[in-house]
Amino acid sequence: MRAGKRNELANSVVLAALLAGCLPAHAGWFNKNQPVPDWGMQAYKTKTPDYARDSAAVILYDEYVETIDGNGRAVEREREAIRILKPQGRENTCAVSYDDSEKVNYFRAWTIAADEKQYQAQDTDFVEHGDTEIPIMLSTRKTKVVHSPAVDVGATLICESEEQMRPYMQEMTWHVQEGIPVVFQALEVDLPPGRPHAESWHRHDPVKAVEVAPNHWRWEIHDTPALNLRDIPSAPAWPALAARMSVQWGQAAIDGRDNQWRAIGQWVTDLEANRPDPSPEITARVSQLIAGAPDFYTRLQRITESIQNDIRYFIVERGIGGYQANHAADIFRNRYGDCKDKATLLISMLQVAGIKANYMAVDDERGVVDPESPSIYGNHMIAAIELPADLNDARLHAVAKASDGKRYLIFDPTNEHTPVGNLPYYEQGSFGILAAGSASQILQLPVLSPETNDTVRTGSFTLAADGTLTGAVDSSHSGPNGADLRWIIKHTDEKERREYWETHIAHDLPGVVLNSFQFVQASALNKPLEFHYKLTAGQYAHSAGPLLLVRPRVLGSFAMPFDDKPRSFPIDLSATGHWHDSYDIVLPEGFVVDETPDPIDLDVEFASYKSSITAKENKLHYERDFVVRQVEIPALKAEAFRKLQSTILMDEKGTAVLKKAGTAGL
Amino acid sequence: MRIGVIVRGATLCLFLASPFLGRAQFQEPTKEELAMTSDPKAPGAAAVYLYREETADDALHYHSYYERIKVLTEKGKELATVHVPYEHGNFKVTDIKGRTIHADGTVIPLTAKPTDLVEVKTKGFQVNTMVFTLPNVEVGSILEYRLQLRYEDNWVSSPTWDVMQPYFVHKAHYFFNPSHSGYITNSRGQNLNRLMWALRAGKDDKVMENTRGQYVFDVTDVPPIPSEDWMPPLNSLNWKVKFYYTQYNSGADFWMNEGKHWLKEADEFAAPTNTLRQAAGQIVSAGDTDEQKAHKLYDAVMKLENTSFTRQKSGAEIKREKIKQVKDATAAWEQKRGSSDDLALLYVALARAAGLQAWPMAVVDRNRALFDPEYLDVGQLDDYIAIVKIGDKDVYLDPGEKMCPFGLLHWKHSYAGGLRGSAGGPGYGTTPPPTYTQSVMQRIGDLYVEPDGSVRGTVRYVLSGQEALHWRQLTLRNDEDEVKKQFDESLRESMPDGVQATFDHFLALDDYSSNLIAVVKINGSLATATGKRFFLPGLFFSSHAKHPFVEEKRTVPVDVKYARTEKDDVTYHLPEGYSVESGPQTASIPWPNHATLQIKAQPGSNSVEIARTLAYNFTVLDPKDYDSLHDFYQKVAAADQQQLVLTRTAVAKGN
Repeated sequence: MRAGKRNELANSVVLAALLAGCLPAHAGWFNKNQPVPDWGMQAYKTKTPDYARDSAAVILYDEYVETIDGNGRAVEREREAIRILKPQGRENTCAVSYDDSEKVNYFRAWTIAADEKQYQAQDTDFVEHGDTEIPIMLSTRKTKVVHSPAVDVGATLICESEEQMRPYMQEMTWHVQEGIPVVFQALEVDLPPGRPHAESWHRHDPVKAVEVAPNHWRWEIHDTPALNLRDIPSAPAWPALAARMSVQWGQAAIDGRDNQWRAIGQWVTDLEANRPDPSPEITARVSQLIAGAPDFYTRLQRITESIQNDIRYFIVERGIGGYQANHAADIFRNRYGDCKDKATLLISMLQVAGIKANYMAVDDERGVVDPESPSIYGNHMIAAIELPADLNDARLHAVAKASDGKRYLIFDPTNEHTPVGNLPYYEQGSFGILAAGSASQILQLPVLSPETNDTVRTGSFTLAADGTLTGAVDSSHSGPNGADLRWIIKHTDEKERREYWETHIAHDLPGVVLNSFQFVQASALNKPLEFHYKLTAGQYAHSAGPLLLVRPRVLGSFAMPFDDKPRSFPIDLSATGHWHDSYDIVLPEGFVVDETPDPIDLDVEFASYKSSITAKENKLHYERDFVVRQVEIPALKAEAFRKLQSTILMDEKGTAVLKKAGTAGL
Repeated sequence: MRIGVIVRGATLCLFLASPFLGRAQFQEPTKEELAMTSDPKAPGAAAVYLYREETADDALHYHSYYERIKVLTEKGKELATVHVPYEHGNFKVTDIKGRTIHADGTVIPLTAKPTDLVEVKTKGFQVNTMVFTLPNVEVGSILEYRLQLRYEDNWVSSPTWDVMQPYFVHKAHYFFNPSHSGYITNSRGQNLNRLMWALRAGKDDKVMENTRGQYVFDVTDVPPIPSEDWMPPLNSLNWKVKFYYTQYNSGADFWMNEGKHWLKEADEFAAPTNTLRQAAGQIVSAGDTDEQKAHKLYDAVMKLENTSFTRQKSGAEIKREKIKQVKDATAAWEQKRGSSDDLALLYVALARAAGLQAWPMAVVDRNRALFDPEYLDVGQLDDYIAIVKIGDKDVYLDPGEKMCPFGLLHWKHSYAGGLRGSAGGPGYGTTPPPTYTQSVMQRIGDLYVEPDGSVRGTVRYVLSGQEALHWRQLTLRNDEDEVKKQFDESLRESMPDGVQATFDHFLALDDYSSNLIAVVKINGSLATATGKRFFLPGLFFSSHAKHPFVEEKRTVPVDVKYARTEKDDVTYHLPEGYSVESGPQTASIPWPNHATLQIKAQPGSNSVEIARTLAYNFTVLDPKDYDSLHDFYQKVAAADQQQLVLTRTAVAKGN
């Protein structure tokens, strides 16, 4: 479970991803009684290609034209034609999303039905939805959706819209891959004379632009397959795998990837300038917090934990407020804010404590920010804390080194449960834009060693002759594993927690009764979270003639989903970490161990798994150790991944055979 | 907070909005409230409502809301953000005031301006949400806010008070001053000159009327809105008070008169015209029994396009295609299409045209709500079904549910209350509850275990009743490939770890009168081993299944939607050189009058056949029966973990 929810830094981008099946065309105001335009008729004549026949719908044509004025503001026109191929494809439609700072000039839609009859959507066919579904978000963004007549299997929906875009945004992300195939798509950028542009591609070979008029560029792409991860176990995030192109026409429209990243970082730096300026109240609070702190780490810890504990996560998305933080003084006064607000207050408080920190723009899904594709595309803001050159503190794990040699501690104040020095697992290995003025750059966030994410679980059980298992489990969780549990504790009340654990444990122990449970949370996040519970599971062991069958692995599963299909996508291992289980089962009187499964010792480079079962006197002892060293592995390691998972599964299912003492072996 | 709904008043109100309303003061917290860290009345709760107040004044045309909330844990901070949905245009949200009070008494006022957001907007309708969040909230804070919802002077809006809240309420006060103008009309132009209310709350809670015709409802210690798995629809559990302007004297009077009106309209739609008589004459034969007639007509209606499962044509299409709107059963028949309701009423019309006694029934969709006769609104009735008299029995049919076999109701229409027609006129009714014999999932597996512990084979799923209806209806809205994928995904829940099930094909997917058969290929790694033995899950489909009702306590009824039977029959073909050392024990676990589990293992020469039947014949259970239900499923869950033990006989010989 993910701790600390995302902020929607690039709201339009997130919306586009959410609407992957209903590709965003642009809304505007509808115009009565216009015939299907010529481009629409031409698109309609496109034959459905064979490769699209298994899809619910296909985009026949999708063209964006961005007309940039002298101030760099874009007017975007989109023309799109979607053919419905299956009943479930009817949900595909056109929509346009806009905020306070944007304006929809027009939005028209037509349907050419399967019987070739033509319809134009009327004003009653348009519905506008607010962005109000997230209870902890206040967003002024709206989406206009057309429900055009006669959209059924075989019909083609044709839409055209024009929208005046955000005045402050001088880049466009062109999503060239969707959840359904695209037969033809194009992007035009019409720039004022002399204004440069720069482009970059993510998971797509670069396409050369044609200059169709002076400083008016056009890219065309044919036959883009759908990206469908529905049946892919352990897949990376969809937006990390989907092809896209970013085109810049502002400060970042310069040569060289590093220069472009620097310009984007500079833009963020400028946008947030002065936002972290501390107020007297902030200064007083920091002085109080760090009073008597013996070292850098302690100062850091006290400040970060105060933000993690005291600032309620609440998102306000209003125009440029989707990118620009509130002032630190306001955040501190109101005690709420979103990710960029929390980063702002952190930078502010650290500044008071004499520690320099910078904004770092990231995405909360690994692989979305691509070092080869400079862009502001991402949905989250964290902080990069500059470490003194002479500081070497073993508690600070999440350190990244910049090209100028400076070391930065990467910290996410929105995640309220991951201690400073550590990093949420979903951010490890991803990239972030260090917004440090002229020193801005793209940085890879570190992948932390397994020891930073540690779970140790011990269980002492007694098995009765009737198969009933009773006992106690004690576990200790640190790093992201502990953060996950803390998240659950925070977001549930006692009744919900009990239900959650009863259900969770019942996966391994059907019929279990949770006799008691207790969480022990240390006041500091860098101390492990402890969880103690007692349970009774009736008929845990089963009689088989004179034998009693018992599963030594009483609780917990490390197996991840896998299949035998050929693999082309990387495999997401989620998190590095170390997990250790140790269970003792006291056998019923008169029983001894007859047989146990063989021990396991498997190392597949990115992970290792060891387990053993031993019998001593009246006890059955099970012990296992699981280490994951990487967060993602390439597809070519799929076979090793399968071997690891099937080995874990077989071990988890393994059965020990008990027999009455004195009974002859079989 | 619910959306305000309005009723048009015939005259303009003579009063102006009173300025005193805006002067309402906040309440000072007591020392005990400030110091509170937990609440013995709500152990473990994230927050509690110290006080709630709702005032509705139809004379002055406003509703006001006031809440005081104590935050007890981090989770309780979520209540600091307040969403007020309202119908834009007819209502305005005004006079929002709020503050946060820390445990030390520090007061932080709400200064940020609330934001008015569009929720949904169409050409003629707009719902907005006013959003604000209280500042500086800590665990231990008291959140306090008030606001008003105002509406035009020529409207009235009788209140619905949602007495239950997400958290425990210590004390609440509700007040309603109704309009006494006497000129309130409904959409039929009828004068609504009386006031009634429906109450669901604690047994001692009462709505009090004062001498000025105003209503007060005071309540203390209100439990939170229940939240459990397998709950019946919340409308049957939530405490609520709802007021109605009405022309009727009582609830019985309301339902009698509205029932007549409803039945008149339904009968007009379902009039057995000459066209329908002619059609019925062609469908049935003179010598047919009533049942044969009813069945043939049912099949005829099932063949028509049911636009609730395909797509309803828009006005533009209807106009373009020069076809008529389906305004009655005859039009539905002529156009060979109609919505679920249209087709249910068409069936009634055809049955009448064929000389059968048939009536419409309007029921509440049990997936959404339960019928509540205290809720004086015909609008709570969702769907039409048909009742036909065969012999001396009323047979309930669901011709509006495409692919539903004759004699079966979709579960959402079974055990469902509503209004029905009959020879004596309209009245309440409840459809029959589903039985365990109606919905059966049979899984017949033929599995070959290899010496390396892998398994391959085939499983045939034979589905009837609701089990088949679900997949058949899914096919109406999706193509077969999509249905196959969803079937595949559903299989994963019942497959042992390491085993993959791949859907191969359906049989009788289009034939709703037959069992639906799905053929599934099985392969993967199934057995675990020790030096001398192989271990296989004794109950192939149940060893990995998620068993319900694991929680020990229950405060609300259990609703399993419909009664059903699972029948599994799996044959393991053993690898050469292995024999059965032991298998699942024959078991019979009864829960008298409610459910049963039967397990039986039958060894063959080189195989073993294991049969398991789990049947439960209840739909809704009272909380007092939960202990028995929990106990039964504990036993089922434990029995389902039994293993099949094979011994390596060939190896033993060699040794």
